Amino acid sequence: MNKYALFLGCTTPTKVLQYEVASRWVCKYFGIELIDIKDFVCCGMNQVNLSIETGLLMAAMNLALAETRGLNILTLCAACTGALAEAIERLEDKATRDEVNEKLRDIRLEYKGKVKVKHISRVLYEDIGVEKIKREVKRDLSGLRVAPHYGCHYLKPRSAFEEFEKPDNPKTLHELISATGAHPIEYETLGLCCGGKAFPVSEDLAHSLVQKKLDDFMNKEVDAMVLQCQTCYLMYSDQQKKIDEEYSKYNLPILLYPQLLGLALNANPIKELGLGLHRISPDKILAKIT
Amino acid sequence: MNKIKKILELKNPVSISELDPNFKSEVIAHPDARGLAACFSCGTCSAGCPIHEVFSEYSPKKLAKMVRLGMRKQVLSSPYIWYCATCHNCEQRCPQNVSFFNVLNVLKNMAAKEGYAPSAWVEQTKQVVKTGIVFPTEENWIKKREELSLPSLKEDHPKLKKIIELTGVNKIKPRVDKE
Repeated sequence: MNKYALFLGCTTPTKVLQYEVASRWVCKYFGIELIDIKDFVCCGMNQVNLSIETGLLMAAMNLALAETRGLNILTLCAACTGALAEAIERLEDKATRDEVNEKLRDIRLEYKGKVKVKHISRVLYEDIGVEKIKREVKRDLSGLRVAPHYGCHYLKPRSAFEEFEKPDNPKTLHELISATGAHPIEYETLGLCCGGKAFPVSEDLAHSLVQKKLDDFMNKEVDAMVLQCQTCYLMYSDQQKKIDEEYSKYNLPILLYPQLLGLALNANPIKELGLGLHRISPDKILAKIT
Repeated sequence: MNKIKKILELKNPVSISELDPNFKSEVIAHPDARGLAACFSCGTCSAGCPIHEVFSEYSPKKLAKMVRLGMRKQVLSSPYIWYCATCHNCEQRCPQNVSFFNVLNVLKNMAAKEGYAPSAWVEQTKQVVKTGIVFPTEENWIKKREELSLPSLKEDHPKLKKIIELTGVNKIKPRVDKE
C-alpha cells in the first residue's frame, strides 16, 4: 500500500479546491493512502525572497513533521515540490542540518534527513505506472487535443529531479496524458514559465508570459491545457480571463492532470473532480468525451 | 562622425566614486552566491530568461556584472531584482554552474535588510505568521471546503510563529518609494 503525507500548500486548499478534490479521488482510486497533517505550513518558497534562512527553516519544519510520522510527502503544487526537494538537498549537509535543527529544537522538532518528496504526477508515474493507468481507462478521450504544461518547479532545480525528468525535454506529463487516451500536442513554448512568482510584484510582466503561451495555441486546435500546479492554473485560467476581458480571443479551458485522469476513469465531473468550480467552462471538453 | 558622437554620449555613466569595491566580496561571501566568482558574462542566463524576453531591462547578466563592478546601491535599490519568476532556467543553462537564482536571492535578502523589499513579500510573511499559509482565512473557502467534504484547515500555527521570529524576518519593513 502506498502511503503519503498530503502536502496541500497555501493556494490549492483555499483557491483551487478542484485540484484537491480530484487529487484525493484519483489517489483513492489507485489505493494511494493520503494522511492529512494539520500542522503543515507554507513550504517557505516565497519567504526565500526576504530570507533564505527562513525559507529553509519552514521547509525543514514540514519535512520534520512528516518524518516524525514515518511518512514521505506527496505534493500537489510544483513550487512546494521544488522548495521541499531543494531543502532536502541542502539538509543533506550535516552542518546545515545541525544549524537548522538547533532552531527546530525550540518547537520540539528534528529533521534527520529521511524524507522523500514526490509530486502527485510523479507518484502516479512511478508508483502506479502508465501501463496500469491505461488498463483502467473507462471513457474515450481520444477526441481531445491537449497542451501539457509542466510547471518549472516540477523539473527544476535540475539536481533535485534529474533522476526523474529532463528539464529541457520533459516527457512524464506527455506520457501520463497519453495514458488517458487524450492526445498531448507538441508546441514551441512548452518550457515557458507561467509567471506566477513574478505576479505579486509585477502583474504586467506575468500577463505577458501568460499571453505568449496562449498565443502559441492559436490555430493549433487545442481543446484544453493540462497542468499539474495550482499557481500555473490560476495564471492560465483566472489571469487568462482577465486578459480576455480586453481581447476576448482565448476562451481556453484549463484542467489539472488528476481531473483529466478522473474523466478517463469515469469519475463524476462535478462531485469528484470539481469541474463546476472552473472560471472557464470545461463543457467544450466534456462534449468531446464519449 | 555624428554617429560616433552619439555612441559616446553615455546614458547612465557609471561613476567610479559611487562604486563599492567590497560589494562583490560581500555577496560572494554568502555560500549561495559563491558561484558568481566563476561568471564570465557569456549571457546564457539572460538568453534563456523569460522575464528578460518580455522586459529587456531585467537582465541576469547585467545584474551579475553590476555586482562585480561594485554597483551596490543601484543593484540593491533596483526594483528589477524582484521581477524574477523563479523558473531556474539561468542556473540550469549556465556553463559555469553559477546558480543565478540563488545569487539573486542573496541580493534580495540584502536589499530587504536595507529597506527595499516590495510590500507584497513583506505582507506575505506577516500573513504566514498568522495563518501558516500566505492567505488570510476567508469564510468563502471554509464554506466551500465543507460543501465538498474536505477536511478543515488549522488556522493557528504558534510553532511557525516561533521559528519565524527566531530569524527576525518578521521585522523587515516594506520599501517606501520616494516621489
